[in-house]
Amino acid sequence: MTGLSDLRDVAIKGLDAAETLEAIEAVRVEFWGRKGKLALASKEFGKLSPEERARNGKLLNEYKQEFETLFEARKAGFESAALDARLESEWIDLTAPASGIRPGSLHPVTQVQKELEDLFVSLGFTVLDGPEVETEYYNFDALNIPAHHPARDMQDTFWLNAGSWPKESRLLRTHTSPVQVRGLEKLGPPLKMIAPGRVFRNEEVDASHEHTFYQLEGMMVDRDVSVAHLIYFMKTLLSAIFHRDVTVRLRPGYFPFVEPGFELDIQCLICGGTGCPVCKHSGWVELLPCGLVNPAVLRASGVDPEQWNGFAFGLGLTRLVMMRYAIDDIRLLMSGDLRFLNQF
Amino acid sequence: MKFSYDWIRELVDGLDTTPADLARLITLKTAECEGVESHGSDSVIEVDNKSLTHRPDLWGHHGMAREVAAITGKKLLDPVKPRSFDGPRAVHVDIENYELSPRYSALVFENVTVRPSPVWLAERLEAVGLNAINNIVDVTNFVMAEIAQPMHAFDANKLHGETIFVRSAGAGEELAALNGESYVLDSSNLVIADAQGAIALAGVIGGAGSAISDSTTRIVLESANFNATSVRKTSSKLRLRTDASMRFEKAQDPVNTVRGLQRALELLEQVSPGIRLVGGLADAYRPLPAQPPVLLQIDWLDRKLGRAIAPAQIRAILEAIEFKVEEIDERTFSVFVPSWRATKDVSIKDDLVEEVGRMIGYDSITPVAPLAPARVPPASPRRGFHHHIREMAVAQGFTEVYNYSFLSDDQARVFGFDPAGCVQVANPIAAGHNLLRPSLLPLIWKNIGDNARHFDQFRFFEIGREIHPDGETPHFAAAIFAKDDGVASLFELKRLTECLTPGASVRPSPRARPYEHPYRAADVLLGAAAVGRLFEFHPSMVEAGRAAVLDLNLALLEEVQTPAPRYQALRRFPASAFDLSVVVPARELIGEVQARLASHAGANLLSILFLRDFALPGGQRSLSYRLTVGAWDRTLSSEEVSAIRGAVIESMRAAGYDLKV
Repeated sequence: MTGLSDLRDVAIKGLDAAETLEAIEAVRVEFWGRKGKLALASKEFGKLSPEERARNGKLLNEYKQEFETLFEARKAGFESAALDARLESEWIDLTAPASGIRPGSLHPVTQVQKELEDLFVSLGFTVLDGPEVETEYYNFDALNIPAHHPARDMQDTFWLNAGSWPKESRLLRTHTSPVQVRGLEKLGPPLKMIAPGRVFRNEEVDASHEHTFYQLEGMMVDRDVSVAHLIYFMKTLLSAIFHRDVTVRLRPGYFPFVEPGFELDIQCLICGGTGCPVCKHSGWVELLPCGLVNPAVLRASGVDPEQWNGFAFGLGLTRLVMMRYAIDDIRLLMSGDLRFLNQF
Repeated sequence: MKFSYDWIRELVDGLDTTPADLARLITLKTAECEGVESHGSDSVIEVDNKSLTHRPDLWGHHGMAREVAAITGKKLLDPVKPRSFDGPRAVHVDIENYELSPRYSALVFENVTVRPSPVWLAERLEAVGLNAINNIVDVTNFVMAEIAQPMHAFDANKLHGETIFVRSAGAGEELAALNGESYVLDSSNLVIADAQGAIALAGVIGGAGSAISDSTTRIVLESANFNATSVRKTSSKLRLRTDASMRFEKAQDPVNTVRGLQRALELLEQVSPGIRLVGGLADAYRPLPAQPPVLLQIDWLDRKLGRAIAPAQIRAILEAIEFKVEEIDERTFSVFVPSWRATKDVSIKDDLVEEVGRMIGYDSITPVAPLAPARVPPASPRRGFHHHIREMAVAQGFTEVYNYSFLSDDQARVFGFDPAGCVQVANPIAAGHNLLRPSLLPLIWKNIGDNARHFDQFRFFEIGREIHPDGETPHFAAAIFAKDDGVASLFELKRLTECLTPGASVRPSPRARPYEHPYRAADVLLGAAAVGRLFEFHPSMVEAGRAAVLDLNLALLEEVQTPAPRYQALRRFPASAFDLSVVVPARELIGEVQARLASHAGANLLSILFLRDFALPGGQRSLSYRLTVGAWDRTLSSEEVSAIRGAVIESMRAAGYDLKV
């Protein structure tokens, strides 16, 4: 039956020629839809002999499969082209700026302070706090600096008044050391503590001096704490702070709340000890005062110095921050200037 | 304090260490050297005064020479030649209070010639920073620089009477001093006086009336010891620090007064030929109780230093700095402190740890880890809380600032604080720094103004302490500046509030403060308690932009314990939702309407969500909300949901609201 074969050729040509999804669908409906020309062709098979019928039926099946395969392939082609076109139309410029707020910055002193707090806590130290407005007793007397002691000259003091207070009975703490006494009073020995915080000195402000700055006090009180332990701790801590092995040395330094008292120097990290402008060609940089806690301070804290002793140190947090970020003007830290602070 | 290298070398037999090496050794063993400078053929070693605070003996070259001799193992030479003063005293000394003046020694000289000092003497003084004046005054300064004993020479012809009084000044007593100033004194000042009145401020400065001049022919030479605290009080009260007062306030050695006279006599005979001593020594003192020896257990010392030292080595170190050592037993010494170290410096065994440690060298101690049991340190909840707040704020785009704790009167007044009610600085560093901040806001305001010069928009925060007469309160203050209508900034800060303190709400404040925008200010509430303030700065306070501020009391927030979350089983039955729109007057509060709706929705209300605010003609607004309801144990039927909805509408209408349904 040539009719079937002709129809098949027209249908295939129609599929080939179609240029849209709708066009191939129209071809499918025309030939293979419920009333399609090839679909209806089988209805005329009744007039044929059984052999003819079988042969035509088989042929029609082959045509149908051939058409469907081709149809699906073309359909997939159109769909994929349509998807491509849609995706292509969705091109965006990813170099355009992203909207939304960016994180701000923690103050550099906060960052270094937090790092040190974490470090000390990992070594079993507790973090304590003390008031910025202190009494003369905690700031000086309890630390073995009685009234009219020349050591009070080392720390120019802001004295305070308020209506209800005895005249100049309070002051702005000149160091974080009062927390040694407050900490021992509160927690008792054995104690490993640090106390970071804001301190005040009545000094003229310039690029390297501030009347408001930050310190980190540290103290360990236990049985038989020795100079050897102090050196061990300082070396361990400073190596962690500077992220490398540091060489330290102790030399005599006078602070009434420690006995013996030391200035701790580290070998210059810039030149390695051979001498450079940073270490003033000495090979060493003065870093922190420390010493064994004076028995008078332990007694003032209610601790028996025959039973307990310890070491203490005072780290200049502000100074450490300036070293770490190479900040050449201390005033920037308290300036509130976002051009500076946004850099951290 | 300046030390002449040549001078030290004269006092240390055979010293061959270079000035630079000597400075390094002194730094490691004794006191901090700040530098070495050449002065003609001499070198001058500058030592930090702070590191000499506890060492009265190091305020003279002989004291430093003793250290150098001990460090280098050389022999110390004594510049003072023993000399006896025979004959009756030529002047009477009357000390009113031996506590304030433990000793007063004096000699009288006649046939004195006042003239410029010889070059060697003048140069020595100039090398160590003292001005040469005339031979007599220069000798007193030389002795001071050599053995740390301040001295003073009076023109004997200008004194009245035969007695020198050491007494407290009378109230209002005046003294014209050598520096040209006149001082009005009170009973806290110790003076040297003659029959007519004060002739010197004890241990601080001499009087002009009895000063050495070209016409001087007789002198009284004072070599005395004064109480350190008394000298320091007078010196700080009168704001007068002198070479003498700096030494006396370190507690000088009373034994030294006669040594000073012995040394001065030898020098005066050189620089004022023909000078003659009149009579003998006047020397008033109260015998001082001998300081008991310090018991030093070697085992204890070893434990303190963290290394063992042979007893013989300990003895050698202590004897090199002239401590006397007696052996009690093999492991115990009885140590006698020399008089020049005994006034304040060394009195307990801990002081000896320093003497032995520094001389043997701290670099000889091997670092050792302490054998302490591991303990979990007590927690620091406040610090953790503050760091948490900081990190949240930074994540929301805020940058942390630090501000001073100081304010001016004006800054306080702008924010409604009476300067008289603030904590005041008695000695402010600058006029505008005379109060302690009772609020972070004044300086936050300053930060806004400063940064608005550089940025069109910015946001920042501070965590700092408010300081009140009755205590310190940690606060969090945040600000957003933008050149817009300010609304977005306020809501951004409201969002920050909700991030920082879940559960907080904002209640508009009917009474804004003068620095606040009167219609953009609210309390931040946690439960019923006000924990902070959210507001926009009054537009008159901010140029070319709007600034919104959040101020939270962290002490209050910290007290609110957030309970640990407790797991709830997940819902098994679906919920239903319906929307309602309420018609309200122009200034009805969205939050208030929402609260009312919620209160009428019954126990099955799961959530209520504000959808939109729609302006109606005539100034009214339509507020739309979505209410979600559901039962825990079943699915609510549509009739039940309708019943809830109907009840809410009915109740709202009963309360006077118009609902569009």
